[in-house]
Amino acid sequence: MSVFRRGSSLGIKSIAYSDTFWAFVLLSPNLLGFLIFMLFPMIASFGLSFTEYDLLTPMKWVGIKNYQQLWLDQTFWKSLWNTIYYTVGTVPIGVAISLLLAIALNQKILGIRFFRGAYFLPVITSAVAVGIVWQWLYNPDFGLFNYLLRLIDIRGPNWLTSTKWAMPAVILVSIWKGLGFNMIIFLAGLQEIPDVYYEAAEIDGANRFAKFLYITLPLLTPTTLFVVVMSIISSFQSFDLIYIMTRGGPARSTSVLVYYLYQCAFEYFKMGYGSAIAYVLFLLVFVATLIQFRFSRHWIIY
Amino acid sequence: MYTRQKGVMMLIIMLMIALSAGMNPVETKAQNKVVLQFMGWEASPFETEGVMNGLKHFMELNPDIEVKYIAGRWAEHHTKLLTMMAGGAAPDVFFLGAEPFYREFQKRGVLLDITSYFNSEFKISDFIPMDRQKMVINGRIYGVSSCVVAPVLYYNKELFNKAGVSYPSANPEEAWTWEKFLEAAKKLTVKEGDRTIQFGVYGLETYPIPFIWSNGGDIFNKNYSECILPESPKAKEALVKILDLRNKYGVSPDAFYLTNVGMSPNQMLQTGKIGMLVDGSWALQELARMKFPVGVGVLPKFKTPVTHGTAHLHAIWKGTKHPKEAWRLVSFLSSEEYQLYFVRDGLWMPNRMYLYTKDGIKKWLNPSVHPAGFEEIADYFTKYLRPHPAIFIPQEAWDIVNEELDKFWHADQPIDKVAQEMAQRVNPILKTK
Repeated sequence: MSVFRRGSSLGIKSIAYSDTFWAFVLLSPNLLGFLIFMLFPMIASFGLSFTEYDLLTPMKWVGIKNYQQLWLDQTFWKSLWNTIYYTVGTVPIGVAISLLLAIALNQKILGIRFFRGAYFLPVITSAVAVGIVWQWLYNPDFGLFNYLLRLIDIRGPNWLTSTKWAMPAVILVSIWKGLGFNMIIFLAGLQEIPDVYYEAAEIDGANRFAKFLYITLPLLTPTTLFVVVMSIISSFQSFDLIYIMTRGGPARSTSVLVYYLYQCAFEYFKMGYGSAIAYVLFLLVFVATLIQFRFSRHWIIY
Repeated sequence: MYTRQKGVMMLIIMLMIALSAGMNPVETKAQNKVVLQFMGWEASPFETEGVMNGLKHFMELNPDIEVKYIAGRWAEHHTKLLTMMAGGAAPDVFFLGAEPFYREFQKRGVLLDITSYFNSEFKISDFIPMDRQKMVINGRIYGVSSCVVAPVLYYNKELFNKAGVSYPSANPEEAWTWEKFLEAAKKLTVKEGDRTIQFGVYGLETYPIPFIWSNGGDIFNKNYSECILPESPKAKEALVKILDLRNKYGVSPDAFYLTNVGMSPNQMLQTGKIGMLVDGSWALQELARMKFPVGVGVLPKFKTPVTHGTAHLHAIWKGTKHPKEAWRLVSFLSSEEYQLYFVRDGLWMPNRMYLYTKDGIKKWLNPSVHPAGFEEIADYFTKYLRPHPAIFIPQEAWDIVNEELDKFWHADQPIDKVAQEMAQRVNPILKTK
């Protein structure tokens, strides 16, 4: 009896004093959050993608029917195409501009903090506010852009109501909104580069451009990889600006996958179908990221 | 040392857990008081204020009921409702959009059948015909219509006087013909060089359906099981004539895809950017406060005067624990008193037949809101109103209709191609509904 008690209290005691136990306890808020709000829904929605489910009536197992339907759904293909268009339009230009900005704002000039803050401001501004203000700027008759274009005798397009211009218009806003975030990461990357390299290059007679090309760019490649991967993932997931500015229109010309997915799940009562789209999207992001890591071996310099 | 710290930490965490468990809010519910959750959306601060005042009055009349009102955004209302129902925690009473959510929710068996409650207090024949078609599903009632709203023709009297054009009438029997309307729109269009600074009319592309009907055409067959636009030359003719206003005659500005892009249509009318505006009857509430001489007429017609009506319903969740009390609330929300509060301010139009009789109109006509001669519009709402098509078809199908029409309005696609595409895409959805 006494032995038993001693043993059990020792057991508890040894658990209470073990590092692994404490690691889990202190991680548990985060871990539980991940399990309950991320992993479980992810697994559940994979299951849902094989069902017909409207949230209100019992779900029906339909096998791979949702995926087969996707194949024939022209709205899906259009949304997929729009997602790729959006990504190709946003990422390369966005990354290039934010790199240039980061270099510009890495100088010792007056008011540098102000400029950094100014470029970072759109990142922390809510997408709703950004979307609404830009809607005003884009207004075909009374907006700022077309006013400026009129000054040089160009009749501006009906930005957000034209099937041709709506997507470029959204892309422009999203580049502007994302600049600051990438810029900050690039800035951090730039400041990691030791001055000795530049000093050595200067002694060797390198000019500014050569220093950028042979020192800054190569040493920034790990940062660039990170920025590119993150940008592509987040542009595949874009939703908020489009939801606010165009609602996927006109004529679905700005409907991206996540927007269509949302519509299917919550407006069309097709939760299963929406989940199937989500998994196709997951696969796309996964493959895109995998390819990037593969190819990164050839251009990353650590 | 380290280990002692860990022991202390564990004690703290255990204390925290114990405390948080004991901190459950204590329900201080008054005895025998039923609490009803009521969820709506905020169309305007004025509307929410009206709802709150109404509920206050309701609780005075019903001291045994406490109503908790939650007002969200319209865009998320039905999504939220859907997930709350799925989670078994929906509000007892809620606003329900007629297009298409009333039928979509009913189909899934989550609305309380209130037919017998309704019949004990109201008569369906008192409601305007359009509302009867909206509310009754297979002989049963699952929600009571709040009011009715429909597209009408607003105009800026000042611009009309300047152009020497007579006002359009509010009497549907005197509705303008298309020719007369086009002529007025031309006269109201003012150019400065080659730039138009004042347009004749705006809004028909937003509300094309009444004009299709007026010309004797339709997008759907009678029971909404098929898209018949490809075989309806009259519908196509009406659509082409609407587009002509902008493309051929230049009397209409480009339709903003979203009404909240830039200046609102109301502001364009107020500031004299447009002479006439087709918009929902609810817009009168705002227009009447904008301090310019606004007039209201019926829509111009091709052959017959017609417009389409809709408005949200008040419905009860099937899972409510207090169906009787919930009904008392819905009954109050359906009362003349509650409805007329909003009608007098120009936001709603009444949905009872007797409120469109001479004596009935006196109860709500408000000279500071409703322009002179407004009462003549009565027949428009009792005789010439048809339910909005989106009441009867799934959202997905309606979105496709608009998407295809957008290609016609904004991407220069020919109407025949658009009609074919539309039918081809919409029909499979209508078949499975």
